[in-house]
Amino acid sequence: MIRYLARRAGHGLLMLFGVSILLFLLFQAAPGDFLSEMKMNSQISPETITMLRAQYGLDQPLPERYWRWLKSSARGDFGYSFAYNTPASTLLWPRARNTLLLSVPALLISWLIAVPLGVLAAGWKGRWADRLFSGGTSALLALPDVLIALLALLVALKTGMFPVGGMTSINAQDQGTWAWLRDLGWHMVLPVAALVVGSLTIILRHVRASVIEVLESSYMRAAEGHGLPRFKLLFGYALPAAANPLISLFGLSVAMLLSVSLLIEVVMSWPGIGPLLLESILARDLFVVIGAVMLSTVFLIAGNLLGDVLLYAFDPRIRRQA
Amino acid sequence: MLDKAPPKNRERTQTLTSGDLGLPKPEPLLRISALSVDYNAAGGNVVHALRNLDLAIAEGETVGVLGESGSGKSSLALALLRLLPKNARVDSGSIEYRGQSVLGFSPARLRDMRGAEVALISQEPALALNPVLSLGKQLADLLLAHGKLTRLEVSARCSEMLRQVGFDDPERILRAYPHELSGGQRQRVAIAQALICRPNLLIADEPLSALDVATQAEIIDLLQRLKRDLGLAILFITHSAGALASLADNIVVMREGEAVARGTIAKLQANQDDYVQRILFPEKSLAQAAHTASTIESGAPLLDVRGLSKRFVQKRMLSRKEFVVQSLDGINLALLPGSTVAVLGRSGSGKSTLARCLAGFETPDAGEILLDGKPAANDKGGRPPVQMIFQDAATSLNPRFTARQIVAEPLEIARWKTDADRTVRAVKLMEEVGLDPDWAARLAGEFSGGQRQRLALARALAAEPRLLVMDEALSGLDMPLQAQMVRLLMDLQSRHGLTYLYISHDLNFISLFAQEVVIMDSGRIVERTTPAKLGESTHPATRELVEAGERLHAPGVEAAV
Repeated sequence: MIRYLARRAGHGLLMLFGVSILLFLLFQAAPGDFLSEMKMNSQISPETITMLRAQYGLDQPLPERYWRWLKSSARGDFGYSFAYNTPASTLLWPRARNTLLLSVPALLISWLIAVPLGVLAAGWKGRWADRLFSGGTSALLALPDVLIALLALLVALKTGMFPVGGMTSINAQDQGTWAWLRDLGWHMVLPVAALVVGSLTIILRHVRASVIEVLESSYMRAAEGHGLPRFKLLFGYALPAAANPLISLFGLSVAMLLSVSLLIEVVMSWPGIGPLLLESILARDLFVVIGAVMLSTVFLIAGNLLGDVLLYAFDPRIRRQA
Repeated sequence: MLDKAPPKNRERTQTLTSGDLGLPKPEPLLRISALSVDYNAAGGNVVHALRNLDLAIAEGETVGVLGESGSGKSSLALALLRLLPKNARVDSGSIEYRGQSVLGFSPARLRDMRGAEVALISQEPALALNPVLSLGKQLADLLLAHGKLTRLEVSARCSEMLRQVGFDDPERILRAYPHELSGGQRQRVAIAQALICRPNLLIADEPLSALDVATQAEIIDLLQRLKRDLGLAILFITHSAGALASLADNIVVMREGEAVARGTIAKLQANQDDYVQRILFPEKSLAQAAHTASTIESGAPLLDVRGLSKRFVQKRMLSRKEFVVQSLDGINLALLPGSTVAVLGRSGSGKSTLARCLAGFETPDAGEILLDGKPAANDKGGRPPVQMIFQDAATSLNPRFTARQIVAEPLEIARWKTDADRTVRAVKLMEEVGLDPDWAARLAGEFSGGQRQRLALARALAAEPRLLVMDEALSGLDMPLQAQMVRLLMDLQSRHGLTYLYISHDLNFISLFAQEVVIMDSGRIVERTTPAKLGESTHPATRELVEAGERLHAPGVEAAV
């Protein structure tokens, strides 16, 4: 088990390297850098710009810059933000926390809803309840995520029950921890709901499809022939046997949710990685972009690693190979 | 099928009283009266799986149901527990368990009956166990579903049951998962599952077909012992008369959903009906056909294989270990036109690799394959002179293709004539392999196992090959069907001058079919002989195959032949 995980983690590390190199190359290929716009400003002398360039290390060749960045990253310091004039890590960590605050509950809620519903739909296959359900999920699937976010905003605006954006109210901090938490929770409702609606349908359809496939197997018929109760057949026998592809999907759904989350953060002005990434790309704030993308990659790898661990725990056949 | 006379003997009472236990009640344990089951196949066709079937089983009695595949045996097993798939329905008739109508049971009553009163061992035991749950859980769940027992009692009962089916270390088995056991062990666990709630009736649907000979004998012994110890009634469904000879009190012979004969094995052996004889003695029906086998032409060989070698190297990522499997090691083989050569060997002896090299799926590392003196590999385009038939017709045919599409596909690839011509040819080929041309529009998935193998044969013939390579092409079929296929193959050979390379691990029909036998072991040809001299061989690899073949002959059948 440990060897298996170590190997998987090694693959993840290699992937991080690859992503970082790719990012540096892409930035190199893009025209201009953070200082290019200053050249337009006649009040800043070319000497100052050259000096700044040397100070930021932008005059160094690419391999040298990459090497420096790698060394500082190893210390947990992801370079410097040009725009905010602070270390990139102090910008990134709170943002990452905010993003996780949205995507982790959304992930859990959508799986907690999708699994039982999907299993039941598979058990009802062909009946009106299942047809209604399939129709509903296809309709939801056709909705773009932006539209879902905008609809959520519309709900907030029309009902006035929910905040239309942001993470906390302006004066929330003054009213004590409890009130602050409640305020935060209130702000989370709509973005999380939008995320759940966006990812739920895909998961649901996968759960339904793989349980249906298992239900047609001969061991399910044998189990039915043994007189086991229906609930046990569906949840105790069919679901574990169908879990294998679903667990892989769980790892992937982390990535899926993360990308949707970036979009929804921008639309609903949630101070996560999404808006930061957008701003820093526009400002060509090299190290912040790289840090943000690297963080997303880390989340993705962690999600897949979690999937691997779950797979190992659930499937005795995989346990044996590892 | 319509010219068949209606079932002559409906001696229902005779099957009732054969048990010598002295029945306390006149009512049998299970009584099936005039049961008919229909399947709705695609395209609005209705297939009659069972027609007007009568059957009764008394307490402690063993009734055998004998029939070739497609005779409705499995539908019977499923109908009794109301496990028929959704496209099937009971058309008429009744099923009574201790005088209660099973067809009228509520879902709850049905659940109570399943597993606890009437238990099922399904056709493929290896697939009857959930792959991700421990065997202990799968056994315990049955007890928990059918009674109120404490954890301790449950685990004691499970261990005891596993001991009864012949496991010395039940604790290890309880913790194990299905993939950790052999096929025979899984079968025994499936039997333990079926019996753990002490049912009165066990329905065993082809419980032996997936097992090797030694395990088959073990399972029959086990069933006999359990029958004696537990007073179990058994409905034993099979295509092999041998298994029933020692086990069944009474036998019902089924054909196309109908009971065509019934009685003890001795009585059936005396029955002169063609079908009954064929199913009891599959080999016998072939003896006449053997005389028509074509004689070998002499002269230049059609296929000449020289020094063929192939090895496989398995590598793992991030590991330097390499596993080299020498699958073929200097094979020399020559086939005369119109002859049949059988290649025999255990699994893993390299015989399938040989077939794949000949058909061009694998590139050999060394050696050459000459067809009519020319290298075979260069022959690209057109219709290939070598065709292959695979073991499992079900997976070698696209289930979403119609029969016509399947047979016409090689012609289409070769761009042979027009679409209309190809259809005509496909229909003719279907006729040639004994398939009803009216079925050309049916999907491959709607054909039975034997019919699918015929379809695969028709597809192979479409390209007008000179050499047919058959890799275990008959092993998936039951004995009567194998006999039919062999007859068909011999017929086609004499008509088209085909050459056969027949690859197998068992000796069924070899003596009637092949002029030369080649024994392979670990990638080498270890012996060349004729079928008649196989028995005299002293080579250990050959002996092993011959002895396994002898054991495979069912005792009842052998005595009668």
